[in-house]
Amino acid sequence: MTSSPRFSAQTLSVLAALCDQPSRWQHGYALAKQTGLKSGTLYPILIRLADRGLVEACWQDEPEPGRPRRHLYRLTTAGLASATAALGTAALASAARPAATKAARTPAVRGAVARVLP
Amino acid sequence: MTRLNEAAVAARRAVARLLPAGPREWISAIWAEAYEVPPGVARLAWRAGGAWVLAREVLPPARLGRAALFAVAAGAAAWVAWPQPGVGHAAVSQFHVIATVLVLAGLPVLARRFFGPATPGRAGRFLRVLSCAAILALMPAFAIVEAFANLTPEQPAYQRIACPNRGFGCGAVPGKSTGGPAWAGEIPLMLMTIAYLGVILFLTSRRSRVTRGTLAIGAGTGLLFSVVMYAVAPLGLTNDATDPWLPGSTVDPLVALAWVLLFGGPAVAAVLAVWRGRAPGGAALPRSVRMGQGFAAGVLATGIAALFTTALGTGTIALMLRSPWLLRWLNHGHQLTAIAVYHYETTASSGANVYLFMLIWFPVIGLLMSGLGVLCAPLGRPALAELPPADVSSSGAT
Repeated sequence: MTSSPRFSAQTLSVLAALCDQPSRWQHGYALAKQTGLKSGTLYPILIRLADRGLVEACWQDEPEPGRPRRHLYRLTTAGLASATAALGTAALASAARPAATKAARTPAVRGAVARVLP
Repeated sequence: MTRLNEAAVAARRAVARLLPAGPREWISAIWAEAYEVPPGVARLAWRAGGAWVLAREVLPPARLGRAALFAVAAGAAAWVAWPQPGVGHAAVSQFHVIATVLVLAGLPVLARRFFGPATPGRAGRFLRVLSCAAILALMPAFAIVEAFANLTPEQPAYQRIACPNRGFGCGAVPGKSTGGPAWAGEIPLMLMTIAYLGVILFLTSRRSRVTRGTLAIGAGTGLLFSVVMYAVAPLGLTNDATDPWLPGSTVDPLVALAWVLLFGGPAVAAVLAVWRGRAPGGAALPRSVRMGQGFAAGVLATGIAALFTTALGTGTIALMLRSPWLLRWLNHGHQLTAIAVYHYETTASSGANVYLFMLIWFPVIGLLMSGLGVLCAPLGRPALAELPPADVSSSGAT
């Protein structure tokens, strides 16, 4: 039996933002705007998620003229399953103890929970 | 502003080249994304976050701690060594401080890139830390000694002591110091610092294939030699300066031991390193590698001795110039007249030049003597793996 990984509130918000449109590649700045996280917090989370195989990353094929190529991110199949389970757990915990679960109070997580668990 | 941006981009590319592939990709990603962030404080904050990620991902906590410790030590050393207002050659002295700190901070990073990580075990790391500490300590000590040695005293009685000691007379304004060496002296000094640190970093890296045993033999001999040399020449090699400590006789047993260690130390270290040359698993090393171990041990023995004797000796002279109690202690508590104190100080500060002589010639002697040691060492018969493949056609086998 494998236990599902526990994520911090910030990680849940990143997973929630990536869950928004799981098949679509997203840019780092867009994720930062969605989650309200600074680059110094967002990227270490993306690095950890990529190391665990939950997020895949690639470089943009055709950069805009005069701009460097951008890095793109999306959830892997395992990442999507893991994110759905974690967001569901966070929503259930929030329902049971509304004052105790900080992660579930994050707007991005609340929105994602509403989409993932209708 | 365009030039500033170009410089920032060039600096980022230079840093990125030094990073391992994984972190390099992530740092490039953050940097590329910064172009999407509105210019101004927001973009600056985004890039500052990138710098934080760089520090966090590339430097593990232990390395981050060591980097912080180095920053504090380098800052303190630079603060002491920074030239005082009114001292001549200020630009040269400022260059010396900045360049030394940059060399100490940057050369280990370059060494890791080109020579690989440090040799496994404590000996290599210990030697690296000690060598960096010695070079760092030498920076303020050298600045204090040079500022004093080039200070023209105001009173004629003091000038009569100072000027002959320098050998070139007192041409400067009384009460002013011409500071450290001019550019012609500074550049070779900096090249020597780079050479010393570069050789130590190479010999303690995996690529050099120098074993832990060789490092221990070379560094041990070098440290013993440096303690003896320091006892012989704590204030340079001038008899006047060392008089309170040692009689300055050339047949003093300690002086004799120093001569023996100078020529015999690297040779014995080389013989031991060749004889003991074994891989971590216990297998005998090839002959060429064992010969390399011998040369490495010999050069380390004299190089470490020269570096540490210079750091200790120059440091003692600098401490004596700044702390009058040390001179009183060296003179066994005797009361000295002001002019006698000045005589000791100026003799010692002029005598510090002998350490530069050691820094140049000791490794050369070490190389020659270790060559002699390697020739005398029991290399034994070459292992089967080292022999050239047998020529089947001429072996007569049918």
